Amino acid sequence: MPWKDGYTISDEITLFDDAVRWPDVNRVCMTVMLDLSLASGPQGLTAADLRHSPATFGMNEGLAQVRATLKRFGITATVTVPAAMARIMPDAVKTLRDDGHEIAAQGLKHEDVSILSRDEEAARLAMTTEILEELNGQRPEGWFSLPRPNDPFAVGTVSPNTHDLLIDAGYRYMGNGLSDDIPHYWVTNFESERAILTLPYFYHFDDQFFLMFPKKGTGLEHADTLFANWNAEFDAQYKRGRYFNMTLHPYAVGWCNRLKLLEDFLTRISELSDVWNPTAGEVVSYWLRAYPKESALKLEPSIWKDYAGSLS
Amino acid sequence: MTDTEQLTRELDELETAAKTYDAQHEFIENFAWPDGTQIAVNFTCDFDTMLFRRYLEETPMQLAQGEFGGRVGIWRLIELFDGNGVTATIFTPGRICELYPQSLVAAHKAGFEIADHMWEHHVPKDMQLEHDHIQKSTTALEKTVGKRPIGTRSRHTNSLLLEEGYIYNSHGSAAHLPYYERDADGENCMINLPFHYAIDDAMFFSFAWLSSENAAQRITDPNRVLDLWWDAFDQQYGQGGYLNICLHPFVSGRAMRIEMLDRLIARMKTRPGVWFPSCEDVARYCLNAFPAKES
Repeated sequence: MPWKDGYTISDEITLFDDAVRWPDVNRVCMTVMLDLSLASGPQGLTAADLRHSPATFGMNEGLAQVRATLKRFGITATVTVPAAMARIMPDAVKTLRDDGHEIAAQGLKHEDVSILSRDEEAARLAMTTEILEELNGQRPEGWFSLPRPNDPFAVGTVSPNTHDLLIDAGYRYMGNGLSDDIPHYWVTNFESERAILTLPYFYHFDDQFFLMFPKKGTGLEHADTLFANWNAEFDAQYKRGRYFNMTLHPYAVGWCNRLKLLEDFLTRISELSDVWNPTAGEVVSYWLRAYPKESALKLEPSIWKDYAGSLS
Repeated sequence: MTDTEQLTRELDELETAAKTYDAQHEFIENFAWPDGTQIAVNFTCDFDTMLFRRYLEETPMQLAQGEFGGRVGIWRLIELFDGNGVTATIFTPGRICELYPQSLVAAHKAGFEIADHMWEHHVPKDMQLEHDHIQKSTTALEKTVGKRPIGTRSRHTNSLLLEEGYIYNSHGSAAHLPYYERDADGENCMINLPFHYAIDDAMFFSFAWLSSENAAQRITDPNRVLDLWWDAFDQQYGQGGYLNICLHPFVSGRAMRIEMLDRLIARMKTRPGVWFPSCEDVARYCLNAFPAKES
């Protein structure tokens, strides 16, 4: 689109279906994000978030169940880890890494950074990177800011500085954005075309918004709807040859009948031979080669006019 | 002791409130579609993308969600309607001309109607500024697609809309069939093409719509909505009625929902006498065949 500061993050038109290609004979790309955060709201992880039985389940049996399911179906995931969770369960993170999953960062405490100063956000970003690097033996390549159940919107929160700081800190990608359903460039500066590749996220494929959401109560369990959405979107994107992403929380999807639905879904996927299931880092490497910013990003100067009595 | 006089006054006030509001509406008697048409189905898009989110000062990720509508969703809807012979109506805030002009040109070229959806997706309280916004939106849309809009989906004042050449509005649900709506003083009559929130994608598929709380969220799957909307179509088909389906490109432009809409339209087309006109077509038909009574 004609660039408009404060409104847009990318160019005017998506890459249409016929222009989207995946490596080898693959028809569609499917990524799985495994979110280890237990933060309930914008404040990020609190002691209360960690001291209830579903949290304990998520850190222990739930995670073990989901991990076994992924292994059984040969699914590669990207694990989104707040630094606080890495300190709480370092061995679990290492085990997931050793299974072949990618370890990505998700904030210090998975807190809302939009209220922090730029310096404070940068300092927390550096601290998070350091903690994950020390644990994992390598710097995380990707950063996530997935939504928490009590956020006002189901989209994740960033500050106006977040993407810029991620580029400064050497991150190769931002893990969740909503402006497209394929990887796309999140532009932080129009003139210099400074941008970071962003992967698509959508809350309709995120377990936490269907499973006893926002907290326990009557009529709040919709595992069937979640399952229907996974299937409907996967089928539609498979047909188009685009991209499907699902977001899983061990505390949520790891529980009996929900886990069965995940397995039913993965059974369908495993019957197809042309689904590419990379880690986030792998799809980013592919995309940066196949669709480099220099040719793929088509920014146009603003044609917006400012008027009295209108938005600026 | 019971103050019957006071209570009677209260009952009078209620009666007056209902009757004066009711009197602003004129329902069409013995309505019928053109020969051979059993139902008219208007597919309408409210193409506000991130603009309304920006007006509400929502967060960057919320704006990014809206941006999906302009970058991806609108193009898929154009393809869907074009491929199915559906003449859609795109209710568009004038400002979208400065954000996604290419999609509007493409929609116009595909034969769709580009109509107004408020300059910046809100109606200013000051009437002079409101008039200014109507003029800005009208001019922007005309300049972008080469045709002046004659329809709106808004709460704009009828007299201002009529002054700028508008012939219809599409809001509210006082009746299933198109009806006439007048100002409180009985003047400035316009035809209204009703739409109901029950036939609006955002009610099923959008999170925190219209400031609803987290505990109120029931985001659902496409098949359920297909069933509900098919029933809506079926019921109106049976009585020779009208259906206005309201879609937001950032909501319905998602792949799984485009696929659902494709199935819905295909199923509608199995019935004889289903008309998929623009809102302009419906408005002009009503104005011509069933003009409003003299006020």
